[in-house]
Amino acid sequence: MLALESVTKRFGGLTAVGGVSLDVDEGDLVGIIGPNGAGKTTLFNVIAGYYRPESGRVVFEGRDLTGHPPHEICRLGLTRTFQIVKPFGNLSVRDNVMIGALTRVRSVAAARTDADRVVERCGLGDYAGVVAKSLPIGLRKRLELARALATRPRLLLLDEVMAGLNPAELAAMVELIRRVHAGGVTLVVIEHIMAAIMRLTRRIVVLHHGEKIAEGVPARIARDPKVVDAYLGEEFTLE
Amino acid sequence: MGALPQLVVSTLLLGGIYALIAVGLTLIFGIMRVVNFAHGEFLMLGMYLAFWSFSLWRLDPYVVLVVALPVFFVVGLLSYWLVMKGVIKASHNVQIFTTVGLSIALQNVALVLWTGDYRFVRPWHASEVVRLGGAALNLSQIVAFAVAVAFTGGLMAFMKFTHAGRVMRATAEDREAATLMGIDTERVYRLAWTIGIVCVGVAGVLLSPVYTVYPQAGLQFVLLAYVVVVLGGLGDMRGALFGSLIVAAVETVGAYTLGIAWKEVLYFVLFILVLVFRPAGLFGQRGAETLGM
Amino acid sequence: MRRHAGAIVLFGLAAVAPLATRDAYFLDMIVLILMWGAISSAWNVAGGYAGQVSLGHAAFFGLGAYSAAVLTVHWGLSPWIGLVLGMALSIVAGLIIGYLSNRLRGPYFVLATIAFAQVLLITASRWREMTMGSEGIPVPFKQGFWALGLASKVSWLYLTLGFALALYLVQVYLEVSRMGYQLAGVREDEDAAQALGIAGRRLKVIAIAMSAALTSAGGTFWAQYVGFVDPFYVFSIDLSILFALNTIIGGVGTALGPFLGSILITWLEHYLRATLSDIAPGLIGVHLIIYGCLLIVMVRFVPQGLIGALGALFTWRARAAQRERHART
Ligand SMILES: Nc1ncnc2c1ncn2[C@@H]1O[C@H](COP(=O)(O)OP(=O)(O)O)[C@@H](O)[C@H]1O
Ligand SMILES: [Mg+2]
Repeated sequence: MLALESVTKRFGGLTAVGGVSLDVDEGDLVGIIGPNGAGKTTLFNVIAGYYRPESGRVVFEGRDLTGHPPHEICRLGLTRTFQIVKPFGNLSVRDNVMIGALTRVRSVAAARTDADRVVERCGLGDYAGVVAKSLPIGLRKRLELARALATRPRLLLLDEVMAGLNPAELAAMVELIRRVHAGGVTLVVIEHIMAAIMRLTRRIVVLHHGEKIAEGVPARIARDPKVVDAYLGEEFTLE
Repeated sequence: MGALPQLVVSTLLLGGIYALIAVGLTLIFGIMRVVNFAHGEFLMLGMYLAFWSFSLWRLDPYVVLVVALPVFFVVGLLSYWLVMKGVIKASHNVQIFTTVGLSIALQNVALVLWTGDYRFVRPWHASEVVRLGGAALNLSQIVAFAVAVAFTGGLMAFMKFTHAGRVMRATAEDREAATLMGIDTERVYRLAWTIGIVCVGVAGVLLSPVYTVYPQAGLQFVLLAYVVVVLGGLGDMRGALFGSLIVAAVETVGAYTLGIAWKEVLYFVLFILVLVFRPAGLFGQRGAETLGM
Repeated sequence: MRRHAGAIVLFGLAAVAPLATRDAYFLDMIVLILMWGAISSAWNVAGGYAGQVSLGHAAFFGLGAYSAAVLTVHWGLSPWIGLVLGMALSIVAGLIIGYLSNRLRGPYFVLATIAFAQVLLITASRWREMTMGSEGIPVPFKQGFWALGLASKVSWLYLTLGFALALYLVQVYLEVSRMGYQLAGVREDEDAAQALGIAGRRLKVIAIAMSAALTSAGGTFWAQYVGFVDPFYVFSIDLSILFALNTIIGGVGTALGPFLGSILITWLEHYLRATLSDIAPGLIGVHLIIYGCLLIVMVRFVPQGLIGALGALFTWRARAAQRERHART
């Protein structure tokens, strides 16, 4: 479904993403981990069209996306959430989601119905009329996800939607992600902390200094000396 | 070829004066990240200070210069406390309209108090012609240039060598880091604003014998100062010096080749082109990041 | 219907005003309130709804004013043709400004728009063969609708009322339509809007071009109404500021805001001019001092404008009433 062919993105002298290749099949749920500054977010920015890579290609369902703008990529069925959430602060939760829905339906009324359904499904029903900027961080992360879902993606990139949540919120988010996946959306999920992602996926990719240093099932990843090294000095626990 | 010395001399003289207006503007922007749309009005106030001192007490503008320093120091502090302090952390739009509002208010205070008549300050040195490298200039222009250069130089030395100057530069580089280092950023902003206003007030006094004094006098200069400051890179002092020379050159050469009438079009077009193709200025990068570019 | 109650009252009052009085001074004031309210609404399309604050909108106003005047003076064409030409030119200019808005942000964009209007100002005041230079163009008066020579103030009132209504509806469209919602997304966060499939840059450019064309139409009407085009007025930064001022005072990004702002500002200007010039001719600048101070105070303390302040007042009173009821039971 998605194929990255040795994608490289540099900022001045810094190689944020260096020659990363990756294949994601329809129905996959892939986790991407790596210490801070590993290049995870940059990789998403390249896939979703925010940055143009210096070399390499991004192919989605057989179509070369490299250099296409984000809105076109979204309309093709691939979108992302932002690690630093970007709600439309002065609009209500419902309107936030509705703006996503309007990408698929032209009628405002139909989009509103769509949005209400998505809001409900994401457990934001009680907050539909609330102004987005007044939501606490846990709910903002959820809104980020709801808005993206409203564009009916077939492949969704989630950037640290679980970071900063308390245990109860975390459990709910894991549950929500599972449901989204079960609903037929292929997912690539970035997580900084490994423990969270272990509960979700069987396939993990590890980035370090912009390069893919490991890929495989969680148990093997956890024992991989290169991975342990990469996380040296940072918290690295399975549970 | 005969015109060349004249063009060079005019460029240098104009450039020196523009520099004094522009350094204040760029200082305020570099440190406060505020584009001061009222900058020209403080220039106008400086011109009126010179005008009234001259017509009431026959005080030469160069004497007024000494008085202008404390006067504009107070004007700067007052305008900071009354107007700017509350919007330091506000959005760009709020800041823009705050200084626009200040500009309208000051312009019309001058209009109401002193009418819209064109006024002239013409001490003896304004009609004293000096020949310099084939160019005929009046003495006021030359003195204005010399004082402007001395003042700009002094300011740059202040920024480079004094503790206060270093603190200001540190704040300009990185606000968050400055706060973490325990720098009282509020004081830094106040100082930057006040110094910027003193510079432009002094410039007003200096320019009074050369130009016409009226309530909207600031507008033409401030638009020009923006051209200068953007060319040099908003917030970049040395850039402002180069920018001043470039604008002055465009202006003198433009006036010589296209005629006075069209020279302004030339630098506004230059301005837009620079904004579009080198928004961070011809030389630098500073300031660009905070504006999300 | 309730959300339009304010507009219905306002436009309704304007519509019936000629029945109550034929006082020229009073009717003139209503025409100008509607005219400036409509043109400020046009500014609001870019500055409020698209979030692209410009201080160069006088450029479009001037293009509209000059197009009609020049076509009439040189070729005897109807100002309606001038209106269309002005709008077309302004769309082109709006596309240029729109392009700039995608490259420049905040203060840089504002500076670019000012410079753009200045270029047109200088051109208009120096291109003597076409524009009659700095003296300006008197617009010849020819009776009839086709020549926009409406002798009676009442006809002008209904013409500007139609224009104002159209602008109000354009703004309402930007609140309830697909384009409006998408534009709101772009204004709030362009990156996020793009991730949701919105062509943010194109949408902004479209909004700015729309705003430009509508401002230009206002310029044409104004020039025909006043009968004279002065380059130093129609292209001035003061005029650009006035559009923004009306909108900010009334409420940025609201359909009624620019009209409320225009009521206050236009009335204030007329009132103060009349009363102060009786006292001393030099005092005519006083209304501008008040504008300046008002602007400083509003953006800082009442950023929602009159609309927001009134809205807050009403909710506050509703709550107080509710508390009272609670207290009694
Ligand atoms: N816009 C940018 N300009 C310059 N450097 C950047 C930019 N975005 C990210 N970087 C750098 O690229 C590296 C990777 O960052 P990022 O992708 O955000 O890491 P992660 O998401 O894995 O924490 C970091 O060193 C970061 O500082
Ligand atoms: Mg990241």
